[in-house]
Formats: sequence, structure tokens, C-alpha cells
Amino acid sequence: MASSRTPQQRGRIPAALAVFLGLMSMLNAGNCDEQVPLILWTSDGISLPSQSAPTAGHIVGQQQLATYLENALNVGPRNVVLFLQDKMSVEDFTMYGGAFGNKQDSVFPNLEGALMSSSSPLVLPSVSWPASNAVIGQLQDQLETSPLYMDPETLSQLRLNASSPALLVFRLPYGVGSDLMSAKEILSGNDEVIGQVLSIMKTQSVPYTAIYTALRPSREGEDTCILLWAKGLSVSILRSGRWEDHDLTPSTFGEGVNPKLHGSSCDKTKAKLVLNYENVLGHRSFKLILAMSQRHYSVSARRWFTLDAVELEYDGTKATFNGSRNVYAPAEYSYRCESVTSFRWPLLVPHSSKDPANQWRVSFEDFQIQGFNVSGGEFSYASDCAGFFSPGIWMGLMTSLLMVLVLTYGLHMIMQLRTMDRFDDPKGPAISVPQTE
Amino acid sequence: MLLEWMMNGHAILYTGVTLAFWSTILIVGICYTIFDLGFRFDVAWFLTETSPFMWANLGIGLAISLSVVGAAWGIYITGSSIIGGGVKAPRIKTKNLVSIIFCEAVAIYGIIMAIVISNMAEEFSGTTPETIGARNYQAGYSMFGAGLTVGFSNLFCGICVGIVGSGAALADAQNANLFVKILIVEIFGSAIGLFGVIVAILQTSKVKMGD
Repeated sequence: MASSRTPQQRGRIPAALAVFLGLMSMLNAGNCDEQVPLILWTSDGISLPSQSAPTAGHIVGQQQLATYLENALNVGPRNVVLFLQDKMSVEDFTMYGGAFGNKQDSVFPNLEGALMSSSSPLVLPSVSWPASNAVIGQLQDQLETSPLYMDPETLSQLRLNASSPALLVFRLPYGVGSDLMSAKEILSGNDEVIGQVLSIMKTQSVPYTAIYTALRPSREGEDTCILLWAKGLSVSILRSGRWEDHDLTPSTFGEGVNPKLHGSSCDKTKAKLVLNYENVLGHRSFKLILAMSQRHYSVSARRWFTLDAVELEYDGTKATFNGSRNVYAPAEYSYRCESVTSFRWPLLVPHSSKDPANQWRVSFEDFQIQGFNVSGGEFSYASDCAGFFSPGIWMGLMTSLLMVLVLTYGLHMIMQLRTMDRFDDPKGPAISVPQTE
Repeated sequence: MLLEWMMNGHAILYTGVTLAFWSTILIVGICYTIFDLGFRFDVAWFLTETSPFMWANLGIGLAISLSVVGAAWGIYITGSSIIGGGVKAPRIKTKNLVSIIFCEAVAIYGIIMAIVISNMAEEFSGTTPETIGARNYQAGYSMFGAGLTVGFSNLFCGICVGIVGSGAALADAQNANLFVKILIVEIFGSAIGLFGVIVAILQTSKVKMGD
């Protein structure tokens, strides 16, 4: 559920593992699209042990997928034909698979035929996409053979052996965004390739296991409503006169890191991102809550959102930092700031002088947040906390402008001074002032 | 004739400055509009982020400098008339010094107010708008306002008294009876400088800078 960004900057984590990623908050798990379906079936006549299908809505993780594959490959044929599409989501099947009584419009006739003729297909509608991404690696480990990337032409030239395992990978495109072909045509083309491959395999009469899945979902985060990015996040507590730090970056941001987001919510006016941690600075359960709200402000006649509070909840105590004074942006945009801390040019201030937040320090490095109007899983234009001119520049400009005006005025005065020149006679005799005794 | 007017140094200077100013404003405004960044134009941010000390010291500086400009201008006008008139009518010299004194009084008002206002500037320890506090902002703006008030009042008072004094000197040179009457006009002119001082004192009466 994490999306990757390009690793460009050095951070506190050494450059060798410097991959800093964004975190997306997933809510309303009912119609989430961050998973990839996986379909497994065997050639005619071979039956797999019936494995318990996952309960509805359950997302199959990497471990569980490995178990499913292991069970299938231990009993079933060890020649695996893997159809790996670039992107796939369940919606592709519901939209183009003739699922609404219009079987004739389905673009998956070959796939459906294969599944119907197979005795016990395994359908996993929701495999977490880091797991589906790693399916080649898992199959490689289990079959102990390297994958062979093929297409139907090269397959017809290959001689397969039922006794030795083989992993044949067929990459299928899903170029959404290429205006030449619509998704329907691409899926139809892929289904044709599947049909060709399966018929070639049939002619070779080698039993096989076929898997149809993808590397990543085709429909990204339509339900994502909060985006948070940071290069570094740390908290510190003041204990017996010393500040003890704890770096939360590795458990929040990074490739493959899935922080727990229980309790997060969002609606049209309020958004709350809750990051749950364990064992932070001696507290067993520790929560970092970012509460945002948006509303219409009549003077500027537009909607703005503010980061109302950053709360640290631990052992029943809540330390609150107010951020609404400084962290704000128009509701359509995201807010970005190089450093959002409570101690260094603080943008977050403790809620009151007696608040437990006075014993804490929170620091975000290269912070970007958007809590509303998130579309397509990407940040909107980032309203930066640093303006074009700093206050110092403005003060300097003002006083300089004033002095320039004064100078102009003075110049004007001097330039319009006239000396008496009525009796000037440049050609006459010069004035002589004789020395008096 | 237009060309002659254009060749005038003044015209070039003022055209240039005006053009630069308005074109800057126009281009900045267009950029704000087309990039939809109008929300970043924040007057409140400017007023709260600029230091109250800047405003206070601008007020002090303007108080004394504008007053001195007024006094100087007045003295320059009166003085040249007295000296010129005194060539043919030496008796006016001593009597008309009172006009110079009226002009000078304007400068004295200015310096007194500058000292009074500068005594109100105190240290405070806040760095953010919340920690600086409303009272310090009020102090800064009041001092700026008071400085402007006394400065501009004295500026125009000084010019006024100067021109009237110049007329008084020249009239006196012609006919000695006229001087006393014209002096009354000068007194009225001088009063307006005093009004500026009174209002400035009222503006800074509630100023309390500091923690």
C-alpha cells in the first residue's frame, strides 16, 4: 500500500538504503483497489487439493500467498505457466468480463474456457500488490528453477518435460494511457495470447499449472483521501533533563513499510491520520495523530484546510501541538514545508503551557501533506511554507523604497534651483574684487 | 515642444520612475493571477511578520526629518526674501527674524516628538506573532503613525509659515505698517504645526512596548 517516489536526496538513513516513499492512507476497505487478483488453475485432468478460499474482503499477504502456491505446486504439475500482466484489478473483470448477464461481450473467452475445464481453480481476488509483484521470486524459490520469459512463438519451439520443473513467464501489456488501444482491446489481445499459449501447451500434452496475475493494480487509490510525505520523522521526550530521541522514519516511510493506520478517518470537512506504533521511548502503544479540517473563509472567499493539531497519544495521555496557525493551504492544494518541528523555527506549538506536549519534541523533515481533494493518488500543487520574499526582505525593501523616494524628492528640489542669470554677460569683463586695505 | 519637454531631466526621471513602478505592479499582478497564486498575497502576514521596531523607527525618523524639511524650506523662502528686501530696506532685517523663529519652532517640535517617541521603544523577547503580542504591535504602529502625523504637519506648517513670512518681509519693506497684520496670519499658520504635535502625543499616550 505504499507508492514509490524516485530516491534523490540524502537523508538521515545512509544513501545505500535511501529510498524514501510516500504513505497512503487506505480507508473504507470495502471497495479498495490496491490489490491485484490472482487466478491459478491446472491443465485438464489434474485436480488440486481444495484449499480454503480467503474470506470475502481479506487481502492475501506475501506469506499466505507463498502457502497457497506451495500447496498447489507440491501436488500439482511443476511446469508453471505464469501470465504476468503489467496491471490488473478486479474492476477489469467486472467491467469487461461480461459479468452482468452479457456473457457474449466478455473479453476473456479463453480464460473462462480454461477455468471451466479445470477441475479446481484457485481464485484469490485480493492479493496485496507487493506480494503479487514478488510472485516470480516465490515461484523461483519453490520450483528451484530460473524463469524463462517467453511469447507464443518461442513456446512452440520449446520442448517441455513433465518431470523437470519449468517456469515460463508471459508478460502481457496493460498500457492504459496509450490512446491507440483501449483497455478492452488490450485485455482482449491478452486473452488471445493466453488462448494461444494454452493450446500450444495442450498440443505438447504436458500437464501444467497456470497462473494469471499482475505486477500492480490498474486502478490506483480512488479511495485514498490523505497523503503524507516526509523525509524524516522523529519524536523526543524530555526525561530527567535530557532529550531522548526516537526516529520513527523506518516504521512509517519506506518501501514495503506498512504503518498501522487504525483509527484514521476522513470526510468532507475533517480528516484524521492516525499512525500507530509500538515500543516508542518506553511506551508500549504510541499514536501520532494528524488532525486536519477544511472550511470556507468568507474574507478570502475560498476554502482552506489547516493542520489543526498533531497529537501524541501514549499510555492514556495526550500531548497536543497546535499547527493551525502556520500549517495551512487552500483546500485544493497540498502543504509543503522543509521543516515542520516544535522546537526549531517552530510551526507546531504546545496547546497550552501545561500541556504534556511541553515535554515532547516532534520533527518532520521535508514534510508534505494533503488531507482533502486528493485525486489519482498524487499530491496537488504544493503550497510551500516559504514565500518568495522573507519578512526581512520586505522590511529592507520598504525602507529602501522610502529612502529612494526621499532621494528623488531631494534631487527634484535641487534640480529646480535657479541662480540669478539676468545680468550674466559671458563675453563681458570678468568681475574683479580688489583687495581692500 | 514636446521634444523639449521630454529632454528635460525632470521629465525623464519621473517618467522612468513611474514606468518602473507601474510595470512592476502590473507584472506581479499578472503573475499572481495566471498562476492562481492570489492566495499568497497576504497583507496580514506582512503586517505581523515585519518587526514593530521597523515601524517605530520609521516613525521616529520621519518625525524629525519631515519636520526639518518643513523648517528648512520655510527658512529658505523667508530668508531669501529678508535678505533680498534688506538690501533696499535694511530696517526690516531685525523685525523679520521672528518669521525665521516661527519656522525654526517647527523643527523644534519635530525633535521633541522624535525624542519622546524614541523613549517609548523598549526591548521585547517574542519572535513569533503570538509571543510578540498585540500590545507590541500596537506600540510599533502607533509610533509610526505619530511620527507621520507630526512630520507631515510640521512639513506643511513650515512651508506655510515660510511663504507667509516671505510675503511679510517684502510687504514690510514697502510699508512698515503691514508687518504686524501679516504676523497674525503667520501665527495661524504656526498653530497647525502645534495641532500635529498634540495629536501625535495623543497617539503615543497608550504605547507600552516590552514584555
